[in-house]
Formats: sequence, C-alpha cells, structure tokens
Amino acid sequence: MDKEIVLQVKNLKTHFTTSKGTAKAVDGVDFTLHKGETLGIVGESGCGKSITSLSLLRLIPTPPGKIVAGEILLNNKDIVKMKEEELRKVRGNQLSMIFQEPMTSLNPIIPVGEQIAETIRLHQRLPRKQAWQKAVDLLEMVGLPSPEKRAKQEPFQLSGGMRQRVMIAMALACTPEVLIADEPTTALDVTIQAQILELMKDLQKQIGMSIIFITHDLGVVSEVCDQVAVMYAGQVVEHRNAKDLFKTPLHPYTQGLLASLPNIHENQQELQTIEGSVPSPYDYPIGCRFADRCPHARDICRAEAPDLIETGNSDTKVRCFMHTEKWETSVKEEELVCP
Amino acid sequence: MASKVTTAQTMELAKARQNTRKERWHSFRSVMTQNKAALAGAIIIGAYLLMMLVAPIIAPYDPFEISLEDKLTPPSMEHWMGTDDKGRDILSRILYGSRLSIGVGFASVLFGAFFGITLGLIAGYYGKWVDTIISRILDVMLAFPGILLALAIISALGPGLINVTIAVGVFSIPLFARIVRGSTMEVKKLEYIDAIRTLGANDFTIIFKHIFPNVLSPIIVQGSMRLATAILSAAGLSFLGLGAQPPSPEWGAMLSSGRDFLFSAPYMAIFPGLMISILVLGFNLFGDGLRDALDPKLKK
Amino acid sequence: MFLFILKRLAQIIPVILGVTLVVFLIMQMVPGDPAAILAGEGASQETIEQYREDLGLNRPVVEQYLSYVGNVFQGDLGNSLKNKQPVLDEILLRLPITMELAFYSILITIVLGLAAGIISAVKPYSVRDVSVMVIALLGISLPSFWLGLLLMYLFSVKLQWLPVAGWDGPLNIILPALTLGVGGAAIVARMTRSSMLDVIGQDYIRTARAKGLKEHFVIYKHALRNALIPVITVVGLQFGSLLGGTVLVESVFAINGLGRMIVDAIRTRDLPMVQGGVLVASLVFVFVNLLVDVMYRAVNKRIDLN
Repeated sequence: MDKEIVLQVKNLKTHFTTSKGTAKAVDGVDFTLHKGETLGIVGESGCGKSITSLSLLRLIPTPPGKIVAGEILLNNKDIVKMKEEELRKVRGNQLSMIFQEPMTSLNPIIPVGEQIAETIRLHQRLPRKQAWQKAVDLLEMVGLPSPEKRAKQEPFQLSGGMRQRVMIAMALACTPEVLIADEPTTALDVTIQAQILELMKDLQKQIGMSIIFITHDLGVVSEVCDQVAVMYAGQVVEHRNAKDLFKTPLHPYTQGLLASLPNIHENQQELQTIEGSVPSPYDYPIGCRFADRCPHARDICRAEAPDLIETGNSDTKVRCFMHTEKWETSVKEEELVCP
Repeated sequence: MASKVTTAQTMELAKARQNTRKERWHSFRSVMTQNKAALAGAIIIGAYLLMMLVAPIIAPYDPFEISLEDKLTPPSMEHWMGTDDKGRDILSRILYGSRLSIGVGFASVLFGAFFGITLGLIAGYYGKWVDTIISRILDVMLAFPGILLALAIISALGPGLINVTIAVGVFSIPLFARIVRGSTMEVKKLEYIDAIRTLGANDFTIIFKHIFPNVLSPIIVQGSMRLATAILSAAGLSFLGLGAQPPSPEWGAMLSSGRDFLFSAPYMAIFPGLMISILVLGFNLFGDGLRDALDPKLKK
Repeated sequence: MFLFILKRLAQIIPVILGVTLVVFLIMQMVPGDPAAILAGEGASQETIEQYREDLGLNRPVVEQYLSYVGNVFQGDLGNSLKNKQPVLDEILLRLPITMELAFYSILITIVLGLAAGIISAVKPYSVRDVSVMVIALLGISLPSFWLGLLLMYLFSVKLQWLPVAGWDGPLNIILPALTLGVGGAAIVARMTRSSMLDVIGQDYIRTARAKGLKEHFVIYKHALRNALIPVITVVGLQFGSLLGGTVLVESVFAINGLGRMIVDAIRTRDLPMVQGGVLVASLVFVFVNLLVDVMYRAVNKRIDLN
C-alpha cells in the first residue's frame, strides 16, 4: 500500500554564521511524512531538531541563520523557494506549529480568543464576528472549560496546560495539513502532558492531519508516533517505522538511546549512558559523526561519511556502514597493529 | 549553612569574586578596543582633560585682557574663534574656561557620589527602618522635576560657582543612592558575605572592603552618565546667571553673554556651546560603552 | 484599579509633605540672617525686623513649618517680597503658559521619539538605524539652551521664518517646544528601540510569524504594543526633566512662564516667589507621575499577579 506523501524534506541544511565561524546546526536532513501519520523527530538537545522544525516554516532569524541548501516539499511545492507572500499563505494555514513554551509563546497583552480569531480572519477571510465564534468553538474543541469567558482573557490568566490548549486551537484554526509540534509537552506537568498528548491524538483522527512531533522523550515517541527519524549532529541517522525501531534499532546511536531508557519490565540495576559528547557544530569530523562514541567504529567510519540509505524495505533508512556491503570488506580497528 | 563554611572556603569565595572583577576589567578593556564609540568617547574626554592641563601653555592670548578696538571680530587667523564684545580672544577664554566647566562637573559628581554612595550602602546594608527613612528622603528629592531642586538650593545659598557645584551635586545624590542601594542588597545576599561575618568582620569592614568593591561597576557607569548631566546642568545654571559671573570664562556664562550678540556675532555663542556638546557627547559615548562592558545583564 | 489609585494617592502624601518641607527649608538655609539678607544691603534695622515679622522668622522653626504647610493647603503661598502681591496670583498667571509649552514639548518627545525608535528597531544595525541612533545621541548631548539659540539663529535670524522670542502666537510655540522636546525625544527613541528589539526576540513574535501574519502586523500589532509598556515610564520621567528644562528654554526665548518667574525671583532674592514656583512645579510633576503610574497599570494588567 503506497501512502500519500504530504511533506518531504531533502538534504536540508541550515547554517548559522557567528563570530566563532559557521555552525552547521542542520546539515543534511532528510525525512518523509505521510498523510495522516505522525512522524517523531528525536535526538539529544543540540542535535538540530528544533532548528529543523523552525526551518520548515522558514522561521529561522536571518541573520545569523540561513537555509543554505535543500528542499522542503509540501505537496510537491518547495517552501524554500517560495516568495514571502506565498509563504505567508502556507504558514498557519497548511502548515502550522505549536511551540515548547506555552508561557512565552502567546502574546501577553492580546486576549487569547483574538489571537486565534486573527489567524482565521487572515486565512479564511471570515468577518470579525464569525471568526470570533469559530475561535470560541475551537477553544471548546481543545477542551478548555467555559471557552466564551476564557477567549476574552489574556494569557496570564491561564495555566500552562490551558495555554498549550490555546496554542493547539490556534494551530488547528485553519485545519492544517501538517502540524509541527516542537516539544509541546516538555514544559508541562506529567499529568497535563498525558492529557495534551491524548488531545492531539484525538484531533488528528478528527481532522486527518499529519503531525511532526519533535521531542527528546522516547517514551512520548512510542506512544504517539507512527514513524521516527532519529537525529544526531544535524543529520538524520535512522528513519523507520516506530514499532520496528523500538524492537530492533539499527544505528548504534539509536541502540545507545534505547539502552539508556529505564525499562520498568526488566529489573535493571543501572542505566546505560553513551560515552563521549556530541561533536561541535562548528567543526564536524570528516567521517561518521558518531564514530568517536560508537562501540563498533572502524577505520572506514573515520575516513568516510556514511549516507542515509535504504536497508531491507523502502521504509527503513539508516546512516551507518554496518548495514552496507563495505562493512564486510573493512578491517576492524582492533586488528590494526600499531607500530 | 553559612556557619559551616571554613576560612579557606571563604577566602576562595572572596577570591572568586575578585576574579570576576578581573574578568570584568578584561571585558572592559576588550570593549574599549572593540567598541569604537566607547573608545571615541574616551579619546574625547582625554583631549578635554589635556586641554584643562595645558590651557595656560597653549592659549594664544590672555583670556581676560580687554581690547575694545578688537571687539567682535569674526574668526580669523589671529583669533581662530573670533573675539567677544570686549575684544577678548574667545579661543583663549574657552581653553581657560575648560578648567571651570569640567571642574564643576567633576566636583559636583564627586560630591553627589560621596553622599549618594554612603546613603545607598547604609540603606541597602541595614535595610528595615533605616532603608525606609533613606528611601523616603530619596523619593522626595526625586519628586523635584529636573534642575528645580538645584535652583531651590541656589536661591537659598545665593548665586556662584561653588553653590552651583553643591546644588548640582545634591541633585545627583538620589541617583547614586538608588543604584548603590539595589546593588548592595544583591551583594548582601551572597553567601560569602555571611561567611565573612561569621568570621568576625564588623559592619564597617564588610561594607567598605567587601560590598563596596562589588557595587563599583554600576557606580562607574552612573558616574560617567552623571558627569554628562552635571556639566550640562552647571553650564545651564551659569547661562541663567546663577553660577559663574562675568568676566569668568565659564562656558555657560560665555554662552549667556553671547546670546545678546546672536545677530551680529553668532560665533560668540556657537563655540562655547559646541565645546559643551562635544564633551557631553564624549561622556555619553563612554558611558554607553562602559554599561555594555560592565553590566553582565545586558551582555549577550 | 480604583483601589490602586487610592493606594497611590495615599503614597504620594508623604512625598508632598517632604516636598513642602524642602521648599520650606529654602528659607532656613539662607546663610546668616535671612531677614537681613532678604531685606537687602544697607537696610535699616527696622526694615529687617519688619521682614522677620512678615516672614514669620521670629517664631520657632517647627511652628513656622506647620503654619507654612497649613497655609499651602489653603492655597496661600505667601506674598512676594518685591511687589507684596500674593505669590499664587502670579503663579496662576504664569503656570498656563508653562503647561502649554510643556504639553507641546512632550508631544514632540513622544511622537518624534517613538517614530525614530520604531524606524531604528525595524531594521537593526542598518544604515538607517545607525544614523537615527547617532542623531539621538547628539540629541541627548546638546545643551537645550544652546540648541535653542542655534534654532533661533537659523530660523529667526537667518531664514526669518519664525519670530525670535515672546509668546503671542502659535508660531512662537514652535521653536521653544522643539528645543525642549528634542532631548526627551532622543531618550524615548533609544528606549523604544531597545524595548522593541527585546520584544521582537520574544517567542510570541515567532508565533505571530508562524501564523502567517504580514510583517507590519507582526511589528505594529504584536510587537509595538508590548514594547510601549516600559516606554510609558520613561515618558513620565522625561516630563520631569522637561518641566525643569522650561527654566532654561523660557529664558532663551523670553517666555513669561513659571520657569522664568523662578529665575527672576532668584535674581531678586524674592524667596517666597521661588518657594511657590518650585512647590507648584513639583506638585505638577508628582501628579503627572501618578497619572503615568495609573496608565502603566492600565496597559499592563500582568502586574496584578506579582
């Protein structure tokens, strides 16, 4: 069954020019999002996942940041090449976004209802009154109690969870095809987190949209995502079906991430950690970016950079020599004798 | 918790504070080399200070010598800035006047800083009712708009340059006091101050040896900004005839006599005003740069 | 809100009392024998005694102060030493002129300052921004009395577009108001710029952009309104230095306002007149600050929480 592709990102590169040099925060990201599915983008902080999400809407502040290469194809139209005008019609309409910090992401002096209605008026050209009514309906849909009263309130009168509901209502105002959620639950209490995730799943079913879910929390990924793209040092290192990924992680980094998860079913004595640290975005190694931390690394890993290639079926992509023919012919590091 | 801190630890903490001070000095120097505006300000101020020192050497004429046949001559090779209504060389008067105008500025800021810092340290360190009383007094001082407080003081003490210095200085007190009070309260909360106290230091030592050095940077920034305002205010008061009296070559007083000849000899008013403006600009440039260098909150 | 205003009103009572105390002390601060000095050199002992009597200087200080405050609250600011007329009458004649000048000046401060600040902040570090900020720096560095003379020389003497001095027509207002307003405008511009830049970096501006809003909506609807909140306080403080500045500007342009009255009174050592003028100007400032506080509170409801 071939699923319809809504959003495809190819070789996306977003670099930042600072006084220290060029930071390659996003450096060749590829992923595919199918209609109605949820794609999780996971990775440690600093791996470039948030910059990726902001790049999708071209919200990177320029200068210092800039999308220097790649394509972001939304229904086969490249967002990178769009003119300002065209881009504005996509933002908040076909492609919308919710952010990590509900506390600071809403304008503090504008009533929340107006902040939603504004988007509706903009993209759907509804008159003021209807747009307001729709904003109130949306607030009800996201489960905000007494939405009519709340719509007139300013953000400081709402709790964190309520604000994130407002953000979701705002993002869904124009029934977008793709919703980008950048760590939407990280700043919230655990119980509220679960409610918000539940709400997002429900709404996805109702509207039929696709979601890109950016998080560092693998637990959340296993709950909500169909597909997963694991990011490391500005690149996607593994892009797979979520179930498979959790069952048989292919990339050594993914394996390390999963091993570091606490598992309630097994009686683990201690959690594993990945030794070493992420390479600086100012100065990536020539070879595989994970090689220095990888238990399986060989000479080839330091000499050449692996590509993200399909292994097995077309749904499974991984950036590692271990899953290529080259691996068999390469020499293990231990076998090298130092003179 | 503080009582468990050992002497060695305390010394380390105090040293750490000093290191940050050293770092701040380094960042100040790097701002001076990188921030061209601040450097320009420093150069302007330096040039004026030099002018104060060497005025008698480089002044081409006697600033007080009246020569009525040369009166109101426009700028020329002999008199670069022209002559005034009594035939005195304006350039020479401006050179000598720098001592008065800049001197009054510095003296009044030192006066204001001394009382302001003392009040601020006391209010911030002791808090409670001491702070309440001092703060109310400061509120009252700040309730006078602009230079009106200075005017009120001069009206009592009588006109004159020294009285202007006092009046403008008083007007600086609340600004220094507020800033020092706030910083003192912050520094006081730091653990090492508690530690030093448990080691037996008395209030005086704590305030002057440990708190004062730590509130120095906001004082320096404020001082630079206040110098700009103080020079402007003092010149303004002399302009009103309440400060330096003719034939003093104080710049505000020169401007004041210049305005009577605005039609026939505009240079009489233009040059003294220009000198004030450039000096104040220098202090403002310098103050902006210092603030960027010393205020860690603003730095990114 | 009502409660807030009441609370602020209660807070300014000690400030007003403090101001009256300082103003009262002016008379006590006169070095030597105030009565003798105020009566002038060569005055007979009789005249001096008469002054002492008139000014109440023969009574204990506390009693003097209490009766001074009592009189002030009844609208009696004493009589001029020179023409023996009530000080209040003279002030009521002069205050409207100064208030008019202050009104137009603060208008220039606000309009010019905001416009310049926004122009700068929209394109930070551009040529436009840098030039506006350089002009603003000049604006805070030029002495108002000198700027006034320069403007007068240019527009009245050279170009002859505007009257030199006086206060008899709308054309007379332009130069003094400009002279007085420019310094404040420069400060407001610098404040607006930094406040705007701060706001533009906030998350909710990113949200506004993510919604697809046009850039000018983002700037004027979402950024500017938030950026203005701290600017309100600055404008309030600016009004204070502006009121003080009227002293200089009225003197430059020969305007018979309150400021010039105070300066003339200092020259003639007419202390009750000085006291009255300084007191009234300060009271105006205190109430303007109260107004600013209330406005600040009205636009920034968030401080309810803190």
